[in-house]
Amino acid sequence: MNILVFTKRVPATQEEELRLINDGKDVDFSKLPFKVNDWDNYAVEEAVKIVEKGGGAVTAVSIGNTESDEVLRRAIAMGAKDGFLVEVDQALHDPFARGALIRNFIRKESIPFDVIFTGVQSEDDQFASVGGILAALLKLPYVSMVVGIDSVAKDHMVVRRELEGGLQERVRVTTPCVLSIQSGINEPRYVSIMGIRKASKVERKSFKGIEYDAGKESHIELVKWVYPPKKGGAQMLGGELPDICKKLMEILKEKGVYQ
Amino acid sequence: MSYALIVAETRRGIFEERNLDSIGICALLGKETAILLPDGQYSFNEKLVDSIIRVKADEEVFLNPLNMTAIIEKVSEARGRPDLIVFTHSSSGAESAAYAAGLFGFPVITDVSGYDKERGIFFKSYYSDKLFGEFKTTGGATAVLTVRSGSFKEFAAEKAAAPREEVVEGITASDSRTFVEYVEEEKTDIDITKADFLLSVGRGVGNKDEIPAYEELAGLLKAVISGSRPVIDKMWLPKARQVGTSGKTVKPKVYLAMGISGAFQHIAGMKDADCIIAINKDAEAPIFQYAHYGIVADMHKVRDALKGVLKG
Ligand SMILES: Cc1cc2nc3c(=O)[nH]c(=O)nc-3n(C[C@H](O)[C@H](O)[C@H](O)COP(=O)(O)OP(=O)(O)OC[C@H]3O[C@@H](n4cnc5c(N)ncnc54)[C@H](O)[C@@H]3O)c2cc1C
Ligand SMILES: Cc1cc2nc3c(=O)[nH]c(=O)nc-3n(C[C@H](O)[C@H](O)[C@H](O)COP(=O)(O)OP(=O)(O)OC[C@H]3O[C@@H](n4cnc5c(N)ncnc54)[C@H](O)[C@@H]3O)c2cc1C
Repeated sequence: MNILVFTKRVPATQEEELRLINDGKDVDFSKLPFKVNDWDNYAVEEAVKIVEKGGGAVTAVSIGNTESDEVLRRAIAMGAKDGFLVEVDQALHDPFARGALIRNFIRKESIPFDVIFTGVQSEDDQFASVGGILAALLKLPYVSMVVGIDSVAKDHMVVRRELEGGLQERVRVTTPCVLSIQSGINEPRYVSIMGIRKASKVERKSFKGIEYDAGKESHIELVKWVYPPKKGGAQMLGGELPDICKKLMEILKEKGVYQ
Repeated sequence: MSYALIVAETRRGIFEERNLDSIGICALLGKETAILLPDGQYSFNEKLVDSIIRVKADEEVFLNPLNMTAIIEKVSEARGRPDLIVFTHSSSGAESAAYAAGLFGFPVITDVSGYDKERGIFFKSYYSDKLFGEFKTTGGATAVLTVRSGSFKEFAAEKAAAPREEVVEGITASDSRTFVEYVEEEKTDIDITKADFLLSVGRGVGNKDEIPAYEELAGLLKAVISGSRPVIDKMWLPKARQVGTSGKTVKPKVYLAMGISGAFQHIAGMKDADCIIAINKDAEAPIFQYAHYGIVADMHKVRDALKGVLKG
């Protein structure tokens, strides 16, 4: 089975302050570390696991600037055979534009695949839509929030998708299809620096987004970014650690959960 | 006729509360509203919408993007193209919304949590609520939205007249994706929804080896330990301990969140706790917007200091 898996390089923002620049037209990325999108790490692992068991090959694809090569090397270190970079120099903030670009790329380059994996969402934009849009544009069946692949047959797969509150749904989907992989589906393997260095020797192919009408099919416009609305917020407990602990214990006693 | 089409989310006979946010945003936009429902008896305030379109299809057929797009096509044939299609930002809502947008070539904005009527702008979270993007749709095509739960329900208002009833029949279920069965979560002895005091750890815990020290702290505080999704994904805590939309919804007296950033899927599962205390080393962490008390500190240091105090 040939699996095409999409992997994106995203800024690691959880512990960083995000600064808006140019009147909210841009976010200052200059001081941020970058990493692979968490969801895509699970997707690459799942793809590699499937071909290790049943044969075939995994091709990792990333859309972005040349630095996105980093996530391709990572995917190769995990077991992907090829890494393709579709270079775009301008942000495509519309997931539709991104889906359309991917469809055009797959068609024009006649990229062979049996199944396409994306992550459920990207950590930065969190649209959770590229997979669904791509599936519809390719006229393929789609399943999102996939938390388990129970079986892989010649013409179909049986997968579990997550609903809410711990409930799952088992569905049967014919191949070729597009699946969006949810975090926690597997335990992504550890990637060593040595592994990445070795992966660097595998040639990655690079394509120019402009050849696939990058950005042509945009339907939404990003006006600007703004800081979140302040909701009043928490009463902050300051001071030295012993003071903080004392105040914390008082609150717990007052709320009646600790005597 | 211009109208907004809401795709109701129902699960095993229950009309999900978050549909009220879909209804609310349509009211805020001043749209005439039609809601799509699968087969079955659903209990909700029907006066909140102008029309109810009952689809002759089971829930499992209905909440399948391949069938949902066929249903939307049928509805559009019968009553004209809606100018808005609204889903909830949930597992099934997000899945069908993206697919519908792709199939019909419509603009899509997901996880919408605000709307500025004067400027015609939708607000959408970025970086787990650290920033918001202001979006407009271009070109005038039908817009597809998914709506964040809790964002618009206060705008839902009863209409003067009882809703009109319509029926959609003759939907052929796709055979490329079919429902097999529901899979329930394994039963465990611990039920975090019953706890009065939850000590919840997030990705900030760093690695698995730190967990036992938090379990010990929970023991000393007589709290029950729970976690955010990444901690459960990495199997540092069992699934039954997960708080959030895809885990448990909890309402303890005290929710002590350590190293949790405050993503909407997490907040949705704990925002109704009587008292939320958040400890995070990032003063800008969104969770401080929802917490009653906040501490900007290294969680491990607070843990160790608290243990010191409790052990006397
Ligand atoms: C402030 C800011 C600035 C940005 N600047 C740039 C920029 O200069 N250049 C640029 O290229 N992008 C930039 N982006 C990112 C770009 O806008 C998004 O990648 C795009 O909107 C698609 O993400 P999504 O949220 O729609 O994907 P989602 O629908 O949330 O993602 C689902 C899945 O789709 C796949 N996917 C999505 N995007 C990619 C990708 N790029 N490569 C491979 N797989 C992918 C992944 O598997 C992902 O898990 C920027 C984003 C922000 C917030
Ligand atoms: C369909 C779907 C369903 C989901 N369901 C859920 C769900 O049910 N529950 C859920 O929780 N998530 C859920 N998520 C994931 C959610 O979007 C977030 O990714 C997740 O909640 C983030 O968890 P976190 O806050 O622990 O991690 P992060 O966002 O990585 O935050 C870690 C925090 O720890 C802080 N930190 C780091 N080190 C320290 C330290 N030493 N001391 C103090 N603070 C520190 C950081 O500043 C940061 O704020 C879901 C996502 C999707 C797409």
